[in-house]
Amino acid sequence: MQPTPVILLKEGTDSSQGIPQLVSNINACQVIAEAVRTTLGPRGMDKLMVDARGKATISNDGATILKLLDVVHPAAKTLVDIARSQDAEVGDGTTSVTLLAAEFLRQLKPFVEESLHPQTIIRAFRTATNLAVSKIKEIAVSVKKDDKQEQRQLLEKCAATALNSKLIAGQKEFFSKMVVDAVMSLDELLSLKMIGIKKVQGGALEDSQLVSGVAFKKTFSYAGFEMQPKRYDNPKIALLNVELELKAEKDNAEVRVKSVEACGGSIQTSVGALTEDVLGLCEVFEEVQVGGERYNFFKGCPKAKTCTIILRGGAEQFTEETERSLHDAIMIVRRAIKNDSIVAGGGAIEMELSKYLRDYSRTIPGKQQLLIGAYAKALEIIPRQLCDNAGFDATNILNKLRAKHAQGGMWYGVDINNEDIADNFAAFVWEPSIVRINALTAASEAACLILSVDETIKNPRSGADAPPGRGRGRGRPHAH
Amino acid sequence: MPKCIVVLQHFSGLEEAVFRNIRACKELSQTTRTAYGPNGMNKMVINHLEKLFVTNDAATILRELEVQHPAAKMIVMASHMQEQEVGDGTNFVLVFAGALLEMAEELLRMGLSVSEVIEGYEQACKKALEILPDCVCSSAKNLHDVNEAASFIRTAVMSKQYGNEDFFANLIAQACVSIFPESGSFNVDNVRVCKIPGCGVTASSVLHGMVFKKEAEGDVTSVKDAKIAVFSCPFDCMVTETKGTVLINNAKELMNFSKGEEDLMESQVKAIKDAGASVVVTGGKVADMALHYANKYKLMVVRLNSKWDLRRLCKTVGAVALPRITAPTPDEMGHCDNVYVAEVGDTQVVVFKHEKEDGAISTVVIRGSTDNLMDDIERAVDDGVNTFKVLVRDKRLVPGGGATEIELAKQITSYGESCPGLEQYSIKKFADAFEALPRALAENSGVKGNELISKLYAAHHEGNKNTGFDIEGEGPAVKDMLKAGILDPYLVKHWGIRMATNAAVTVLRVDQIIMAKPAGGPKTPKQRGHWDKDGWDEEPDHFDTH
Repeated sequence: MQPTPVILLKEGTDSSQGIPQLVSNINACQVIAEAVRTTLGPRGMDKLMVDARGKATISNDGATILKLLDVVHPAAKTLVDIARSQDAEVGDGTTSVTLLAAEFLRQLKPFVEESLHPQTIIRAFRTATNLAVSKIKEIAVSVKKDDKQEQRQLLEKCAATALNSKLIAGQKEFFSKMVVDAVMSLDELLSLKMIGIKKVQGGALEDSQLVSGVAFKKTFSYAGFEMQPKRYDNPKIALLNVELELKAEKDNAEVRVKSVEACGGSIQTSVGALTEDVLGLCEVFEEVQVGGERYNFFKGCPKAKTCTIILRGGAEQFTEETERSLHDAIMIVRRAIKNDSIVAGGGAIEMELSKYLRDYSRTIPGKQQLLIGAYAKALEIIPRQLCDNAGFDATNILNKLRAKHAQGGMWYGVDINNEDIADNFAAFVWEPSIVRINALTAASEAACLILSVDETIKNPRSGADAPPGRGRGRGRPHAH
Repeated sequence: MPKCIVVLQHFSGLEEAVFRNIRACKELSQTTRTAYGPNGMNKMVINHLEKLFVTNDAATILRELEVQHPAAKMIVMASHMQEQEVGDGTNFVLVFAGALLEMAEELLRMGLSVSEVIEGYEQACKKALEILPDCVCSSAKNLHDVNEAASFIRTAVMSKQYGNEDFFANLIAQACVSIFPESGSFNVDNVRVCKIPGCGVTASSVLHGMVFKKEAEGDVTSVKDAKIAVFSCPFDCMVTETKGTVLINNAKELMNFSKGEEDLMESQVKAIKDAGASVVVTGGKVADMALHYANKYKLMVVRLNSKWDLRRLCKTVGAVALPRITAPTPDEMGHCDNVYVAEVGDTQVVVFKHEKEDGAISTVVIRGSTDNLMDDIERAVDDGVNTFKVLVRDKRLVPGGGATEIELAKQITSYGESCPGLEQYSIKKFADAFEALPRALAENSGVKGNELISKLYAAHHEGNKNTGFDIEGEGPAVKDMLKAGILDPYLVKHWGIRMATNAAVTVLRVDQIIMAKPAGGPKTPKQRGHWDKDGWDEEPDHFDTH
């Protein structure tokens, strides 16, 4: 009898481990970052993606791109996860977070290959992140909330910075105003759902408008509607979620109507419970032609805590991307309302943190010094990529920036318009500090997570033919 | 006589059965060994449903691995028992059992018989459990003190979330202490976990009361000082079970048909309101009509899908779940200081919050950038809570960081030397097996195991019973674990040693493997893969491994 290997796990189980595995995970993450790298910043390019069903999407939103990429590599999935989490938490900065995480890993690769223990690296990174976050908190400038004028200005600047990198950067002033108006009209909860976005093809971007109230496409009207006036002032509105017609076949009981005369009365029946206080109010109700569609508008509602943005624009993909961009901007404004401290964008804050950490690293002995130095270096990826995407000489600009920051020019960042550096705080390139804090924490958490894995074990996928009562080891994968 | 069982495979004897089993178990413990301790590495496990787990929790790894080998399964079951008994120390069982079997293989190759090995192991195990109480170096005095509780939980959390241990230990301690009644009974189930993606792990928090990832159904989103009526049924009018036919003869009857229904609904909602309730929690769906009236009477409506959630909520607010829509009596209504909808990240949550620390349930809200990370933290929280539970049962603590193991190894070796007969060898090997744990700690931190172990032995021979591996030091550094505050609950070690020894002995006892043909459906394919694989994936019995 020949000696046989002991079979411990199910046939078809893959496993790989050790440093090569770690390096391959890091490489996988680099590939992901490559996909979104060029979308960063105002001069970033957009991606056109075609999914399995042939639907084309144009976007430069990191989270959207990664979502559509359908990543299967388990380690690389982590990057998709953090982009999504950044999207959920702050709504913008998804590209930066992916880029940062991948750059952290890239800087660490040599250390891993030299078999420095990953746990040492992880500890250093956690320290560095904590330092960086407290530094952001320390230097962030907070704007007084009491001053409505000032707050509004802050919000508009933040929205403009967010829109800067998007497809609609050309109209950023127009849209940042609109976005701030929209968010300001909400109640304290700032529920995103209360801002509706409707897309209508045709027209120019500038034809887009904000409706303080509700607007929707006219779907269906009853015979005789054409005869009705198209505009009501101060109407009272009955909101029914039952049909305004014969109420029949409700629940399980079958209602058999013998007398057809019932029609007249039954309308009243289902609206029977109407009283004054359940009726809504609004100033104007009108029906308006928007593009090729007819829209119903409810405007100037006294208790309005909601608004609708009607987007106009050419191609469908274009309006969709605009919607995503507005979503990002809206999220940024919401964050900025909740947290009123801001930092300068355009790579300024990253350069400052990088300098701070580099200085710090020189004060400590041991391996930590190298690792925190690597963290500091990785932060420079943001301004570097901004320059690369704009076609500037990144090394040159980075050198200028480093020099400026060393001299105490805290807010100096890349000036996209003049191929130079500029005080981005004075240039109103502002971002809520929470965006950067979240991006740094998420990126370093992801990097640590990937580093802490030394083995991947993949069970064979249970076949579709497996019986439903799986998990008992009965459903053997059949060799197809 | 039953018809004869068709014997497909038959293995017997040392070479075929025992060594093969040992090899399988060793291989398994090799996998989890690198996950042991604070510097242990994570594993990515992708289960058969393609769900990804990133963890160093041995119980989770094993659950998702779907171990096939029957002998290896014994060890897996031992670690499951450990999980159920004390909730922590699963990896301890695996590594120790693996080491015991490795040692057993050496003994068997030396020429000892299986029964001698088993006897020695059992004697040594008994001795170890006798010695263990002497290792106790501290005991929990006041578990109602958050700081003290945190210092004990810290060690358990450290092995999962190294670097964040202080933060999480504090959170878990707060959660546990706040629901730990004076009477002294502690239910693990009362610490809930709610995972919300976004932000960083350090944004996690704990609150007294419950958090649900739900939205309020109606218009009311916040109620202070709320009276809560809980219904286990849908918030809807009564519907007859069977299909009925209603004959309506004229317009008036039709009008009254639905109007009657509406009036009934209104009177029911009004009755609930009049009873003083301001929040309605329902276990089923909420009818549009009912919601309409709830809005009208300014009732906040929350819908919970899980029956367990409903029950827990009842417990924490002190309500009685009513099986049908009726006005609750004051006794049946619960009370909560603050019920509100909040947005965390972009997730809407409903929070039932007690201002004072008197809720029966507390919730740890975990934040994190990826789902995998949050899952892992959840497991860390789970371990921490279990540690607390174990401490409630037995307040004794032993030093961690390999100190207890080396002390046991030292004492058992000297005990073994006093034994006559061949079991002396196996007792000494049992002692050697203990070395596997500090060795794993050291090797996972990139330190040479032998150097550390010799250092530890030297310290213990000088009488420093609490000396263990200093994970933060450079190289094979040692430290007094009691001073460093690295302590394990006594029960974890106690059960760990027992479970591991039992599992190892059971594996060794097997000298024959007989595999019957799987009970035949017609589907059983004729062609088999490798002959060895035959029947392994047909378990003889269903082991509920969850």
